[in-house]
Amino acid sequence: MEEKRKLDIKQFLQEHVNDIASYGGLLFCIIVFTIVPPIFGESIWSQAKLANIISNVIVTALLSVGAVFVYSLGNMDISIGAQIRVYAMLIVLLGNTTGSLLPGILISLVIAVVIAIVNGGAGQVLKVHPIIPSLVFMMILQGVSSIAYAKIGSRNITLRSVDFSAFKSTGLMVAVLIVETIVVSYLFYYTKYGKSARAIGANGVAAEQSGINLLKFKVISYVIMGVMVVVAAIFQMGYTGSASDSTGTGFEMNVMIALILGGMPLSGGMRSKVSCAVIGSFTYSILAVGLPLIGVPTNMTFLVKSVIFIVVVLFTCRKENGVLPR
Amino acid sequence: MEAVIEVKHIHKAFGPTVALKDVDIKFYPGEIRGLVGENGSGKSTVTSIIAGMQEPTSGEMYYQGKPWAPGSMIEAQRAGISMILQEANTISHVTVAQNIFAGREAEFSHFGIINMAKMNAAADELLGKFGLGHIKAKHPIDMYNFEDRKLIEIVRCVDDNTKVLVVDETTTALSLEGREILYKLIHKMAENGKTVIFISHDMEEILEHCTVLTVLRDGDIVGELNGQEIKALGAVKNIRYLMVGREIGEKYYREDFDTSHSDEVALELEDVSFNEIKHFNLKVHKGEIVGFGGLSGCGMHDIGRICYGIEKLDGGRVLRNGKEIKTPLQAIESGIGYISKNRDSEALILDGSIQDNIVLPSLTALERKSFISPKAEKEMANKEIEAFRIKCNNGKQWVGTLSGGNKQKVSFAKWTAKGSDVIIMDCPTRGVDIGVKQSMYSLIEYMKQQGKAIIMISEELSELVGMADKIIIMKDFKVTKEFERSPKLQQTDIIEYMI
Repeated sequence: MEEKRKLDIKQFLQEHVNDIASYGGLLFCIIVFTIVPPIFGESIWSQAKLANIISNVIVTALLSVGAVFVYSLGNMDISIGAQIRVYAMLIVLLGNTTGSLLPGILISLVIAVVIAIVNGGAGQVLKVHPIIPSLVFMMILQGVSSIAYAKIGSRNITLRSVDFSAFKSTGLMVAVLIVETIVVSYLFYYTKYGKSARAIGANGVAAEQSGINLLKFKVISYVIMGVMVVVAAIFQMGYTGSASDSTGTGFEMNVMIALILGGMPLSGGMRSKVSCAVIGSFTYSILAVGLPLIGVPTNMTFLVKSVIFIVVVLFTCRKENGVLPR
Repeated sequence: MEAVIEVKHIHKAFGPTVALKDVDIKFYPGEIRGLVGENGSGKSTVTSIIAGMQEPTSGEMYYQGKPWAPGSMIEAQRAGISMILQEANTISHVTVAQNIFAGREAEFSHFGIINMAKMNAAADELLGKFGLGHIKAKHPIDMYNFEDRKLIEIVRCVDDNTKVLVVDETTTALSLEGREILYKLIHKMAENGKTVIFISHDMEEILEHCTVLTVLRDGDIVGELNGQEIKALGAVKNIRYLMVGREIGEKYYREDFDTSHSDEVALELEDVSFNEIKHFNLKVHKGEIVGFGGLSGCGMHDIGRICYGIEKLDGGRVLRNGKEIKTPLQAIESGIGYISKNRDSEALILDGSIQDNIVLPSLTALERKSFISPKAEKEMANKEIEAFRIKCNNGKQWVGTLSGGNKQKVSFAKWTAKGSDVIIMDCPTRGVDIGVKQSMYSLIEYMKQQGKAIIMISEELSELVGMADKIIIMKDFKVTKEFERSPKLQQTDIIEYMI
């Protein structure tokens, strides 16, 4: 009996090592940053810092939650950052000429859907690695934005004629994140879209032989992400009411890091979870806000983050268990 | 005589599932030891522990008198214990020679540069020694089919240093010629005082080639037969009884010879051409079992894939109820199900749960305004788990943790859950033990009575003779002969049309 209980615990630990690592990582960060910063005279739980964390986390979290579908396919999209840059620019420019944010948002949505269709479809139709079309889009969008900013003659544009103060509200940010998480979770766990995406990520051949249209569900996965990228772009732009030629730089990597910190398997498949995106984004943002507070110089934070990242990866990459022949 | 390997009180558990209970076996030099038992009885677990693939939960092992605890398969192989696995285990995109000498490149290199010509020559010589002259060392491995790759694996595993060879269910992947090569090899090894551990579901080859037999059931040793007992009359019945733990009864295959079926055509191939297959015609009726037999490269597996809309045809049409089938999705929607012979790579998602796998083709049917209720999914899966008696803790268990027979039950369950009317089964009982086979056969018979049309592609002639209404034999992508079901039909009548 004793032996059996030990085995049960061992199996539970093996099955949930990813969860333990990701939730444990977040908990660890919260504890450390609650205890240590007050020694240096600051607390991350002050209202100002909390708002800072939320604003820091919100764009990464919106993007990561949206990207869950694409990552569950075992794919990734590296045009996210460049997309944000162009969408933010469009929203500001069209906002200033029309006096409303809506035209910019709608045009961004159209572009996002077109990009998603090409990104999701090209891999399947042309049989190229799915990262290739997203690489192409990254370059195209970078090119477009640098030409546009050169024409404008400034590296920075500000929203003038539209009131954007609502986007600074922490409450709205949290509400939108919650709504997005619920919508994506519903699609991911309780509809054909999520189930198909995970099946494709786990075994594309078996999924196809079980009647899943690979092209259709890959494209849908990318469209879901595309829409969420536009939502994230609105908040990225809205927080400062401006856009620049460096908006969005490195966001695709932030998404990847957040998802890995949250325990998302990069190969996708059945073990992909929406919670990975939320947990990972918070861990990542608490690190970003908290490290300077405990006396880590800003220029050292990248190195410290990389060490933490390596620890999480080492924790979660282990021998597959339980799939041996018998 | 001293044992080469001795396992003592070996216990192995995967979570709550116990795979081996306190097992003791001694393996002696010069013997071909058969291990038989149903799926999940622990055969492969014992051998994989000996060969260093996994560790026992408790217990000890001795190899040549010394304590034995290999850390990996490579370590075991260096010490002289090699294992040929059930599933393909070659490295793609490199040459045959590179596969054979994987991990031993140093023997052919100077200052880190590998002398490819020398390596190829050595590999060709080895291949020749094994009677595999048709395989060329310098060719990329992807040029060869599953069977040849399996044989290449054997060449890689066995060298002069090998003292113990584990052959785990390898013959299911081999044709008659390939099997002969393997049989010759294991007998030669036994003559030279080596030990062979032979795992197979094919009772005939076990009886013919093993010198001693150990029977396992539910992780326990339930019997051991020596050479005389193996050759004795009624040995098969005795062994089956030990394996299953109850009288299996006489009923195994279908007993009736009634080949009548509805006149309604369920699936039709009309002048189909695909690669080497030219102008192929086929009609399968409701309530009919059409069997396809032949050697593995004869084109019969392609027919199954064509019927399911997987392959892009060069000409002709696949018709179901007058509608053309061009993709697996169209096939499924018109009530066709397909069980691939490559179970682990094509039929199942090993990383997914039993439930995820069973409901996958039925997602559209389960939808209520795009919502798929977890309760409905669970009900559907549990119904099938119960009907098939899939041995598992619950529907959430990963398919990858199941034994071969239970995995195969899951791939059948996908289509019974979906309610498909035409079932294409490619090697439906590959790597499946007697108990499961028997239940599969009665299921197939039941499906026929229900008016389902069945295409049964098999490399086992006995099951075609035992089950099919019509047997179509293929050779070199052409039909060489058709047989009607009859009590007089013998396997020997058929073989000449295959080779």
